[in-house]
Amino acid sequence: MRLVFGRVTQTRNSCPKAGSSFVVLLKQRKSSTFKHQPKNIMSTQNENGYMLLFRGTDLRKGLSAEELQKVTDDWMAWFKRLTEQGKALAGQPLEREGKIVSGKDRIVSDGPFAESKESIAGYILLQAATLDEAVKIAKECPGLDYGISVEVRLVDQQIGRGFAVSV
Amino acid sequence: MKKPQDTGHSPPSGEISQLTEHLFRQEAGKLVSVLTGIFGIDRLQLAEDVVQEALIRALQTWPYYGIPNNPAAWLTQTAKNLALDLIRREKLFRDKQPEIVATTEQWSVDSSPDDSPLFDTEIKDGHLRLMFACCHPLMVEEEQTVLALKTLCGFSAAEIAKAFLATEAAIAKRLTRARQKIRELRIPFEIPSGEELAIRLDGVLQTLYLLFNEGYKASSGASLVREELCHEAIRLALLLAEHPAGNRPRIHALIALMLLNTARFPTRTDTDGNILRLKEQDRSRWDRAMIARGMFHLLQSAEGDEVSDYHLQAGIAACHCAAKDYESTDWPQILSLYNRLVEFDDSPVVALNRAVAVANVDGPTAGIDAVKAIRNRAKLSSYYLLYAVLGELEAQLDHLQTAADHFRISLKLTEIKSEKMFLSKRLQACEERTAKGTLNSKPRIDANRRE
Repeated sequence: MRLVFGRVTQTRNSCPKAGSSFVVLLKQRKSSTFKHQPKNIMSTQNENGYMLLFRGTDLRKGLSAEELQKVTDDWMAWFKRLTEQGKALAGQPLEREGKIVSGKDRIVSDGPFAESKESIAGYILLQAATLDEAVKIAKECPGLDYGISVEVRLVDQQIGRGFAVSV
Repeated sequence: MKKPQDTGHSPPSGEISQLTEHLFRQEAGKLVSVLTGIFGIDRLQLAEDVVQEALIRALQTWPYYGIPNNPAAWLTQTAKNLALDLIRREKLFRDKQPEIVATTEQWSVDSSPDDSPLFDTEIKDGHLRLMFACCHPLMVEEEQTVLALKTLCGFSAAEIAKAFLATEAAIAKRLTRARQKIRELRIPFEIPSGEELAIRLDGVLQTLYLLFNEGYKASSGASLVREELCHEAIRLALLLAEHPAGNRPRIHALIALMLLNTARFPTRTDTDGNILRLKEQDRSRWDRAMIARGMFHLLQSAEGDEVSDYHLQAGIAACHCAAKDYESTDWPQILSLYNRLVEFDDSPVVALNRAVAVANVDGPTAGIDAVKAIRNRAKLSSYYLLYAVLGELEAQLDHLQTAADHFRISLKLTEIKSEKMFLSKRLQACEERTAKGTLNSKPRIDANRRE
């Protein structure tokens, strides 16, 4: 049986709800988690911003509670280390379901599908010298053994510069 | 997703960055019980799935925001939200919906669930109800233990398979059958009362005992998982004993027997995984605190005039734990307990253990006689320990050839590496002593010739 979990619109304590808003870099958040704000990406000359996108909200089936706890622990330690090393600038999980807005008619549809290999479950914004270094960090992701894949993307800064030069 | 600033999470840079051992597994057991109370026991699988989902949510959130201040409450709340959401969506629950929602709302309102005595009772009751359902007499033994491990203890099919030396598919099948049986036979989700309680309680104790033995047996599965089974059996038994319905002398006896044996668990093998005999074990490494707890429950088990086989087994374990070294073991007391135990349990394995006690009291010859006198000894004919015991006793009598023969048979009857290694060593010792004996006797033969 597959479960489809949707959103719950209200909770009465501070625990997470299966819903509510999530904003990715659209809204600045006050959070002690982040040592740097995203704007810092541009500030270091030899470092680039890389986005690690974690895909796969559909973890390998039949993972035991012990295994899940181990991945949680490992992932926590990994993110903590990256943050302390100044490599991770930000990182957040994304709620399963949201809306997809598309087309000139601004059609709003449900999605992505709750559980899929493609759906993005979270991200980490890295500061790294090269793509190789970012990939090396991505390879350390504790979720890789359990059905998660990591997409590594350079945060493009060239367009802005290129434009500036041509002017 | 909630906002990081109002989560009560400690940031990842805080000191606590490791979860309490087995937290997920144990919370899963509790939550499945509670959710089963809501969905109904015929939808056990659904409860298990919701709990799994709550754990996955934790995995996806905690790495970034850190461990919540009260992880158990977080998981409970998340499971609750998922359950409510599911109930609202699923047509199946439409009739029951208002009632279910009302119950769920009660779980935890303003305080965190851990502070709420109401919720605590709810969990304990749920746990016990599920325990009684898993151990229902209509379920066969193998279904009982497997289902208890899956639902009450939060083990996965793969982990159970490891402990039982079975394939994951076989365990999964067994689980499906067990859940199906619960539905079809309409096995109730309740704590029995009145006359039924005592009978049903015995069934639960039997399952916990089996669970414990499965873990304690040196012969099965990966050692870490096995030790976990022992701890789980103890945990469930303690839960049962805390409840008015379960607080009986015999359950304290069972707890005592489990604690007093588990206290010696780590010393049963050396660092290379070789089996160590009782006389070779480092008693300073026995878990004294656990022994003390065992003795405490043994005392509690003495209330009333009830004597169960658990009492006798706990008594035997207590004799071993109380002895400061092998030599000072009170074997006569152990033998008298075994003499009573064989009256309860005519298993030839118990009789074999008794024979070892006889040998320690009256010498190896008496021990061998006791083995020969085992009533249904034929059942042991392919049991490697029968020959291992005979080998030991014959070796003590310097019947080295006979002893070696027994060890050889024993070796053929077990596939477990650590046991094979142990038996090989015993066999080798016999052979060396035989060779040495021949060597020593040579001059004598020569001398005889000279005469």
